[in-house]
Order: sequence, then structure tokens, then C-alpha cells
Amino acid sequence: MTAPKPRVLVPSAAGKGEVIRVKTIISHQMETGLRHDAQGQVIPRKIINRFVCRYAGVVVFSMDLHEAISANPFIEFYLRATESGRLEFIWEEDGGGVYQLEHQLAVA
Amino acid sequence: MSLTRRDMLMAACVGSAALASAFPSPGSTRAQDDTAQDDTMDLIERLTGQTPTLSDRLHLVMPAVFPTGYTVPMDLDINSPMTADDHVRRIRVFAPQNPLIEVASFNFVPQRGIARVSTRIRLAEPQYVVAVAEMNDGMLLMTKTFVDVATNGCI
Repeated sequence: MTAPKPRVLVPSAAGKGEVIRVKTIISHQMETGLRHDAQGQVIPRKIINRFVCRYAGVVVFSMDLHEAISANPFIEFYLRATESGRLEFIWEEDGGGVYQLEHQLAVA
Repeated sequence: MSLTRRDMLMAACVGSAALASAFPSPGSTRAQDDTAQDDTMDLIERLTGQTPTLSDRLHLVMPAVFPTGYTVPMDLDINSPMTADDHVRRIRVFAPQNPLIEVASFNFVPQRGIARVSTRIRLAEPQYVVAVAEMNDGMLLMTKTFVDVATNGCI
């Protein structure tokens, strides 16, 4: 499997107090642990189990994902633009894998 | 440890109230709806230890019919000012007929966003998907919506 690739769509600028829409996706099989391979062995569970968004260092949104989230998990959420700063998007995987992206947000 | 449907069914066998609701009266769809309602309230009570309130402030928007169970769109939002005194802390989503019933938990922060989110989920069979919102005052709001999927998205 190629490395999970995260992508984020977020505006680079917003007015103060404005609500902005953030769309995120990460390519990931989200193996549930319920499937079997050709030999009949259970394919072990490996999913993205947590997503966190930090805005200027503060967690502003997070999501706990379970097996029922579709492959290539798509998460769309809304933030209030309070100050110019760095947006960090972090995906945590079973087994300790971490994937991150960053965006700068300029707030007028 | 993932919450399986077996865990919930075992708990239901022990609880006497669930046995009565397991046998719906034949014929009327309204009776079926009430049964589903009882099952859902029962499920949330067992999971959270609290009694939820059915609320139209919480909106769980999903297609009524969908051709695949692999990637069913789900939009969730709640009418809340998201101030420090009045906000939703988190919204949990369950699919009681899936082999593993927990779908997701969305955690919100007052004044930093609006309580609105979208994602895509897997459903094993046609069922009521349930959302439970925990408000900052401890109150639980719930809603549910029936989704008829044509294929099993969990295998």
C-alpha cells in the first residue's frame, strides 16, 4: 500500500469572525479487521482512528473514527476565523502512524 | 475494544425491557417505528447511562435510499450558539445493525467553530443511523434517520 496521502481544502484568507469551511481527505484503506484474505486469514484492523485540527496551537475540532467510516475518510467541518495563524491537520493511525498537513490562514 | 453488535445483543438479553421490544406486533409500520424508537433509546441508555431526548435541533441528514453501503454520505449539524454557556461538546453516531456499531465521535469547541460536519460511512444493511449530542449542561439530544442501502459496506 502506498503511503496515505492527506489533502486539505481551506481558504488562505478570511474576515475576522467569519465561518470557513474546511474539507479534508486522506487516502487510506480503513481496513476494518472484518475481512478475510484468499487463504481465509483475517486481515488485521488498520484504520485512521483520530483526526485533530489545531488553530494557532489550540485544538478546535477533533473526530474519533471507527471502522464504520468509509475508506479514504472524508471530513468536512467549519471553523471560525479568529486570528491569523497556522492551521494544523493531524491524522492518527492504528499502530502509531501520524500524518500531518499545515496551512497558514490570514485573518483581516 | 470496539463495540460489536454482539456486545449490545448480549446486554439486551440480560435487560428485560429489551425482550419485550424485540417482538414487534405484526402488520402496522407504526408499531415497527415505535419498536425501533424503543431499541434506539435503549441502546443509548446502555451506552451512556443517561436517557436521551429526541430533538429536532439535531439534524442527521442522510439519503433515504443509497445504492452502496460502502460510502454513504452523512451530514450532521445542530442548532447551537456554541457559546461558552451553551454549546455541544460532542456528537456520537451509531449504526446499530453494523457488526461494529460505533461510527464516529465529533468533538467541538465553543466559539471556535459551528457544530456542523460531513463525512461518509459504511453501513452493513438498511437501518436507522443514530446521532447523540452531548450538550455542555449534560443533556443528551438524539435523532435518527433510516437509510436503505442496497449492499453491505462492511465486508
